[in-house]
Amino acid sequence: MLGLIGTLRMGTRSLAAQRQGVEVAGHNLANVNNSAYARQRVSIQSTASNDGLSNPVGSGAEAVAIRQIRDKILDGQVVSEGGVSGSLDAQQRALKLAQSLLGQSIDRGNTGAGGTSAADGVGGGQQLAAGLTDFFNAFSSLAAQPASMPEREITLRRASALAAQFPALDSRLTKLSGQLDESLDTDLKSANALLSDIARLNGQISRTESSTGGAANDLRDQRQAKLESLSEVVGFDAVEAADGSLGIVVGGVSLVSGDVRDKTLETFTDVDGQRMIRASGTTDALVITSGRVHGTIDARDGALKDLRSGINDLAKNLINEVNAAHKDGFGLNGTTGADFFLGSSAADIRVNQALLQDPSLLQASGSAFARGDNRVAQALSQLGNKPIDALGGQTLGNGYNSIVGRLGESLSSVNQQLADQKVIADLLKGQRDSVSGVSVDEEMADLTRFQRGYQASAKLINTIDELMDTTLSLKR
Amino acid sequence: MMRVTSGTYADRLVSNLGNITARQAKYQAQIATGQRVTLPEDDPSAVRRALDLDGERGRVGQFGRNIARLKETATTTNTVMRSLSKIATRASELAVKSNSIRSADDLKAYAAEVTQLIQQAVSSSNSTLRGDAVMAGTRNGQPAYTMTLGTDGRVESVTYNGNQDVPSLDIAEGQEFTASVVGSNPTGSGPAGLIEDPRSGADLFGHLIAFQNQLLAGKGAEVTSTTAVGLQADADNLLRHIAANGVSQGRLEAAGATVTDRLQSLEGQIAGETDVDLAKALVRLNETQMSYQAALQTGGKILNMSLMDYIR
Repeated sequence: MLGLIGTLRMGTRSLAAQRQGVEVAGHNLANVNNSAYARQRVSIQSTASNDGLSNPVGSGAEAVAIRQIRDKILDGQVVSEGGVSGSLDAQQRALKLAQSLLGQSIDRGNTGAGGTSAADGVGGGQQLAAGLTDFFNAFSSLAAQPASMPEREITLRRASALAAQFPALDSRLTKLSGQLDESLDTDLKSANALLSDIARLNGQISRTESSTGGAANDLRDQRQAKLESLSEVVGFDAVEAADGSLGIVVGGVSLVSGDVRDKTLETFTDVDGQRMIRASGTTDALVITSGRVHGTIDARDGALKDLRSGINDLAKNLINEVNAAHKDGFGLNGTTGADFFLGSSAADIRVNQALLQDPSLLQASGSAFARGDNRVAQALSQLGNKPIDALGGQTLGNGYNSIVGRLGESLSSVNQQLADQKVIADLLKGQRDSVSGVSVDEEMADLTRFQRGYQASAKLINTIDELMDTTLSLKR
Repeated sequence: MMRVTSGTYADRLVSNLGNITARQAKYQAQIATGQRVTLPEDDPSAVRRALDLDGERGRVGQFGRNIARLKETATTTNTVMRSLSKIATRASELAVKSNSIRSADDLKAYAAEVTQLIQQAVSSSNSTLRGDAVMAGTRNGQPAYTMTLGTDGRVESVTYNGNQDVPSLDIAEGQEFTASVVGSNPTGSGPAGLIEDPRSGADLFGHLIAFQNQLLAGKGAEVTSTTAVGLQADADNLLRHIAANGVSQGRLEAAGATVTDRLQSLEGQIAGETDVDLAKALVRLNETQMSYQAALQTGGKILNMSLMDYIR
């Protein structure tokens, strides 16, 4: 039997439990727009019953815990898919930049001045595809009038325009590669900060949970948010210890254990001159499988590297083929043996300055004594249609188009994967929200429920107070 | 039933609106440009094929320009041939007439006309196109023929300055064509000479000079036995060249028509790869706009309502 005093205590416990319910609902409502937050629920449990005259008598209820509603599997999936999204995001960003820098688009409305392609084709005159077509067509026009100085000047202008595109493109792509390297440093800086935060939160969680015996819900929310942010930067494995702390392992190397950040991530230049990632105090590059860092390295060493080497191979073959044909020709004054292009790669290809200064030196003729001979000019124009072994049997123009196609394929594939990934991420987020998200309607209902509970408990205390008054007044 | 929270509504609405906006932007850009693909990422295979086709169109367009240049050359050489043919015909007429004339003065008068015919032939043979001598082969920076006059005004000799090479141009992949003719080819091999070629017995200047000299020497009788035969060979040679030139022009016309057909076909193929189906894009844009409006209306209403509106 509780008696009046016991019942009063029961009312007080009930009041506290309902108040806690209101507090938790308020806390949930306050975090309704916090995406890292998992809704909480107060656990109200009946207190131990007392022996009654015939049956045990209930002694009310009390709040025994505040539970966080989380699904560990979903949380793990969100972290894991965040890494995939981060990687694809970084790849898409890098490849879109490469596509922009390549500058190859189709603009059928463009009627730029100059080249055939610019006038009638699918692209503007400033693009490599059109530049190559114009270049070889210029030699064909020169073949019709090999001694004409205006034709020679036009041919050399077209050649200069084409040659100028290679170093400009090479420089832009080299710069992009450098920017991607710099972005690795930036990403690692934020990854290291996140690792420190996780270590700090590990310490706080284990201390809080060991001292209170309950779950450190809000700290765990914060740590989950940090884990999700970290996964977007760099993929990792997490192992939960008995004290609630999480160990973080990247590429097989432990970076966080307990409340200690053992190692940091850093960049270094490998034997191939590439910027790679390793853990501090180690020498080998880490194998990173997801996150922005993975995506950046994958794009840099994959499609971007392929693009750069493709452009470089194209320039090399252009130089070699054109010079081989030009070298044996004769200028208007019978000069021979000069290179048409100088340089050896996309970085330094340029038209021989001597020819630009004196177009009569252009060796269009196959004979030293016949200015109207067009055999070399013809051979040079036909190079545009010649299969080149080094380009897999493709012509120079088709070789370039193939490079554009490959970049497009890479980017299109990443776009598709990212679109699919967005669907997966949205579904997972929706599923997690369905478990952990805060519903205003639910919280409002809870608020009303606990408010009513609180009012009822207060009424109980009021009633006991009145009963005690009545009891005390019996003496008067 | 899946539990739907306040955040889920907002997130899904934003995500859906983002998707719809992206689709609207895509269809709007397609309608504005008339193109289904613009960047390599839009449809890599189509872009690759369009670029290949455009490269081919550039080459075919150049074949068209080459054909136009070759036609110019063919027309110019045809004019020269016809002029020389007239001269050869007139010389043959004079040869027939001179056979029956015995008066030295009459023969001299004929000789003066033949001298003029030689000069006219040299002038025609030295015709140029864009500054290049059309009959000089590839050594065309100078007149094809140089004439030497004697003190008495007769033509003593006509020397060929050109060579026996003819420049050719591409009129299709792997197909080179020449519309040029060399003036003289005494070698007996290579391109046929228009004025001099031992294979046909042609030597217009040699025969005309001999004719001129025979008339000046009063040897009208010799003309029939030697020179008239040579002049006939010249006239026949010129006729063969005129006929061949006609065939060349016909081939160029045919090649030009092929180029036009190929360009039209390529245009169609490129359009097939890159151009948008406007009606389809407009319908889809319309659908997307309706979806956008519906999403905004329903989303706005749902987001504005909660239990709070009904609790005092």
